[in-house]
Amino acid sequence: MTDLNQSRTEQIQRSLAKRYRAEKRFRLYGTMAIAFGLLCVVLLFSDIISKGYRAFQQTYVQLEITYDANVLGVTDVGDSQQVALGDFQGIVKKALKARFTEVAGRKAKRDLYGLISNGAGYTLRDRLVANPELLNQTETLWLVADDDIDTYYKSIGSKAGAFIGRTSEGRQNWVAQLVESGDIELRFNRNFFTHGDSREPELAGIRGAAMGSLFTLVVTIMLSFPIGVAAAIYLEEFAPRNRWTDLIEVNINNLAAVPSIIFGLLGLAIFINFFHVPRSVPLVGGLVLTLMTLPTIIISSRAAIKAVPPSIRDAAIGVGASPMQVVLHHVLPLAMPGMLTGAIIGMAQALGETAPLLMIGMVAFIVDVPGGFTDPSTVLPVQIFLWADSPERAFVEKTSAAIMVLLTFLIVMNTLAVVLRKRLERRW
Amino acid sequence: MVNRMVMNVAIDMPAGLMETENEKNTSVYPEVSVGVPLVASPKMSMRNVDVFYGEKQAIYNVNVDIGQNEVIAMIGPSGCGKSTFLRSINRMNDTVDSCKVTGQLTLDGEDIYAAKMDPVALRARVGMVFQKPNPFPKTIYDNVAYGPRLHGLASRRAELDEIVETSLTRAGLWTEVKDRLDQPGTGLSGGQQQRLCIARAIAISPEVILMDEPCSALDPIATAKIEELIAELSKNYTIAIVTHSMQQAARVSHRTAYFHLGHLVEVNETEKVFTAPEHQLTEAYITGRFG
Repeated sequence: MTDLNQSRTEQIQRSLAKRYRAEKRFRLYGTMAIAFGLLCVVLLFSDIISKGYRAFQQTYVQLEITYDANVLGVTDVGDSQQVALGDFQGIVKKALKARFTEVAGRKAKRDLYGLISNGAGYTLRDRLVANPELLNQTETLWLVADDDIDTYYKSIGSKAGAFIGRTSEGRQNWVAQLVESGDIELRFNRNFFTHGDSREPELAGIRGAAMGSLFTLVVTIMLSFPIGVAAAIYLEEFAPRNRWTDLIEVNINNLAAVPSIIFGLLGLAIFINFFHVPRSVPLVGGLVLTLMTLPTIIISSRAAIKAVPPSIRDAAIGVGASPMQVVLHHVLPLAMPGMLTGAIIGMAQALGETAPLLMIGMVAFIVDVPGGFTDPSTVLPVQIFLWADSPERAFVEKTSAAIMVLLTFLIVMNTLAVVLRKRLERRW
Repeated sequence: MVNRMVMNVAIDMPAGLMETENEKNTSVYPEVSVGVPLVASPKMSMRNVDVFYGEKQAIYNVNVDIGQNEVIAMIGPSGCGKSTFLRSINRMNDTVDSCKVTGQLTLDGEDIYAAKMDPVALRARVGMVFQKPNPFPKTIYDNVAYGPRLHGLASRRAELDEIVETSLTRAGLWTEVKDRLDQPGTGLSGGQQQRLCIARAIAISPEVILMDEPCSALDPIATAKIEELIAELSKNYTIAIVTHSMQQAARVSHRTAYFHLGHLVEVNETEKVFTAPEHQLTEAYITGRFG
């Protein structure tokens, strides 16, 4: 009898050891999976940040600029037509010639003029308009360098060696001279946050796309949240259970899985071709993203409504609340955190969406920063796509920087969702 | 959607009930409930009530009256339909799509299931307390004030304050919570929560209060408090209470109805049901042979 017991105990001990080993193994798998995921995230972020952080700085060159009325062809700063036609790039060229007096020959001169961005003239024009007394005066200014110079200057001293690319030997010499005299440096890139897109990488900014995304998302949330919540409440609280509501439910679930480009085609066919909403504008982008986001919001809102305990409903009905009052006073407040979470997830999805927007023309090259819902614009992910496609070397860091801006947007939205949920959550 | 079939029922007592039955019935369900299901001037009366969930019939031909200021207890084994029957009385079953109630149910002679009867108005007259305490996730004050606000019973804040105080006092909770009316009702103990729910139900001065196993989630001390409360409330209200505890039924009720698998087997004075049950099934249940 004792022998039997002893052998049974041993058996159990053996099987126990086996079970514990299996458990340990299982935990190890889980830890490994999480470690792998974290590693991927760290790699992704470090790659993007290491490539992109330099886009927040821009190479500037210091020059002595003379606002020579004769070169500019401007006699009266108050005359906007004169100012508009003024040759501001001319005074930049003159300043460069004065700085590097030894340069001679057409080709070398053209090379020299390429040191400074084509956009420098606009900066000077704005300065002159703001300070008319500068006419025929001289001042020392930091001007934006050309993108090739920017890329070259940033790469000097890097481990991989300087990136020369299209930078000629003459330019390399001039840069060396400027470095020696301390007339070239990296400064904070304000253009990146204040400009729209540009063919010139040193002038290209994210503001146009960011504003486009903002306007598009405003349209999306204003339409999809009320419609989605109303649909969810009706389906969950008031709709009879029959074949029709079953059909609607199945279709909503199917819509959530439809490839997003199909929604773009739908938007093109309905909103643009039938209703003649202007193309490439945040309004139509928002409408298309609304179609795409609705299923997500409806499904999560229904889940949130279902999670409201029936006892609360019973209590409200029991004291004589009408069905609408039950929903407005009790179900909706309790389901709101879940609904908001769903809406924010939908918005985050919409923020990152590119494919449907390509179909409705938001992929256009748009220089102006949009100021409203019907101004042509593009959005952040499309801007990333466009820059990633551009041949200029300087767009590589811009692309990474744009991704960082998009990720910041996402993180802000998700934080907002968490904060809102925590605030609205009520315990029972 | 509740389909409804009005039956022409003679309100007089069915013939079978008039006869005194000396010998115990067999275990088959009686044609008509034994005992005294009907009273002279009822507050509520139910005639030929059948309740269906889809195809399944949950209540079979129930005839019973609830007298004015009476406490009637409904007992019976689990799944016997007593909760279903209770929820039919104030049309809580309307919210269940598949549920269908037929027969005639009246409150002060008015047909509860008539087209012109507004279920919202009905539930203001027939309040309900549930098995699990279910206060709203609001403050104690707002829990009680919710009903009066809904129905516009108080035009001024002072009036509302008074309603809240009287209701909480009647529910025996006022002294315990008067200093923390602005705290969430969900923070109270289980027994206090249930009394809060009772206060909430009586705040709109219903005529009838239905209680669906109000003490099943409470400890004996909280239960004793609720039972005292029921005795107190019966001075002003008509109460129908479903309970699993036969001792509770014996303590609080005037009459007791015994349900068995959807049939109302026996209704009688509580004392009679527990000392001299007329039907074999009732006797089997109260002596603990099943249930």
